[in-house]
Amino acid sequence: MSEPLLGVRGLGKRFDARAGRAEAFWAIRDLSFAVGERELLTIVGPSGSGKSTLLNLIAQIDRPTEGEVRFRGQLIASPTAGTLRPGWDRQFGYVTQDDTLLPWRTLLENVLFPLRVQNRLSAEMRERAAGLMHAVGLEGFERHYPHELSGGMRKRAALIRTLVYDPPVILMDEPFGALDAQTRTQLQEDLLRLWNLGRKTIVFVTHDIAEAIALGDRTLVFTRAPARVHSEHAIPLARPRDVASIYTVDGFADLHAAIRKELA
Amino acid sequence: MIVAGRVMVGVAAVVLWQVAHWALGAEWISGPADIVRRTAEIAANGELARHAAATLTEAAFGFLLGGGAGILLPFALRLSPRLTAALDPFFAAALGVPKLALAPLLILWFGIGIFSKVVFVAAVVFFFLFFNTLAGVRAIEPRLAAAVRVFGAREWTVTREIAWHTALPYVFAGLKVALPRAISAAVVGEFIAADRGLGYYINNARAMADTVGLFTGVTVVTLLVLAVDAGLERLQARSLAWRPLSRDIGV
Repeated sequence: MSEPLLGVRGLGKRFDARAGRAEAFWAIRDLSFAVGERELLTIVGPSGSGKSTLLNLIAQIDRPTEGEVRFRGQLIASPTAGTLRPGWDRQFGYVTQDDTLLPWRTLLENVLFPLRVQNRLSAEMRERAAGLMHAVGLEGFERHYPHELSGGMRKRAALIRTLVYDPPVILMDEPFGALDAQTRTQLQEDLLRLWNLGRKTIVFVTHDIAEAIALGDRTLVFTRAPARVHSEHAIPLARPRDVASIYTVDGFADLHAAIRKELA
Repeated sequence: MIVAGRVMVGVAAVVLWQVAHWALGAEWISGPADIVRRTAEIAANGELARHAAATLTEAAFGFLLGGGAGILLPFALRLSPRLTAALDPFFAAALGVPKLALAPLLILWFGIGIFSKVVFVAAVVFFFLFFNTLAGVRAIEPRLAAAVRVFGAREWTVTREIAWHTALPYVFAGLKVALPRAISAAVVGEFIAADRGLGYYINNARAMADTVGLFTGVTVVTLLVLAVDAGLERLQARSLAWRPLSRDIGV
């Protein structure tokens, strides 16, 4: 078997005891899985099961206590690895749960910000950004500040801000968590459409079973903290999928019931 | 509405002043009319411009020196939290030194010319901006910094983009207090030893029991402070235009 794009082996993260939290605790431990090129992997687990911690370790925002993460065979995270390199030189995009748009920048400046940081702000890239903003219905709001936009629009902006610089792997941490059902479905459809165009590798974390099934090629079910992989399900539903009516597709209900039982 | 209210309060203040002038007599409180007359007089003979220019020059240079250091130092300290923690008690001690009591010493060291006043203003202004900016730099949201680092941003970008914009409202809060203090500090410095400046003018009037001169000097200083403050308000409104206005969120 060839080397997977992303390999997580024996990963563990312990948070030390500190004031207000009596005991040290392991958010994840003995966690192993692999992600293939162009795969949309979803991870579903109970709230507080260390899913965000996992993505922070892969994105190199935090350092593991044990185990390792490899990317294209290269060791990128381990307890003894050198300085953290967030994003591993633009190889990982990260769309987080809370809003990380810069409040002092307009929507367009926010979307272009990664390109500016990377010195890649060309006419072509501006056009690409405009195309993405059009694709998710944000045109006409370029000069608005984030606080002037709805929650759904901010999420869309955060999503295309990462898509625009085209990192090979995108980590997504419950990006649509705090939205109403309708906006959420809309955004899930946007994501699938954009993914279909570019077919990037995506690791998508959620606590919503239906979302995990609707989006993923494969889903991992995590245990409670310390998180490990409890089980793994291939999702054989045909693409393109219609998220709004995914409940009625053959096989969805059984899969949903099986995963719910495992999470209980 | 607001403007009408301001005019009313202003008129009431002048009326009160006039009444006090009548009640207590000219040797205690000069009337508004005397001050307008005197101001016109010193404006015409060039005295006003000479003294105001001296005071504003001292305030401006002192402000640039002390304010510049007070704003930039916290950004440098951000790079080493341990150094900052180690220096903390020393900053507090330096803040505790009564700057006013230092003024005679500064004159001894730097002479009665402009330089001693510049240093005095700088010492006063520094702390207002330093502690405010430090609080602002410490208010950075780690998740914003992490997000831009994931894009590939280096420390310099994090400083310029995140730390600067986070600290800016705090810097303005510091400026709001520091700018008037810069002018007052220059005036106080001139009280002690100077051959020009509004502080010199006021002190001279005191020595000659010239109540009108005293009141005129104080009034001119007040008007200068108001003008500087209005300029600052305008700059702040432009620099912080991105912030949600309190009237938008109904607070």
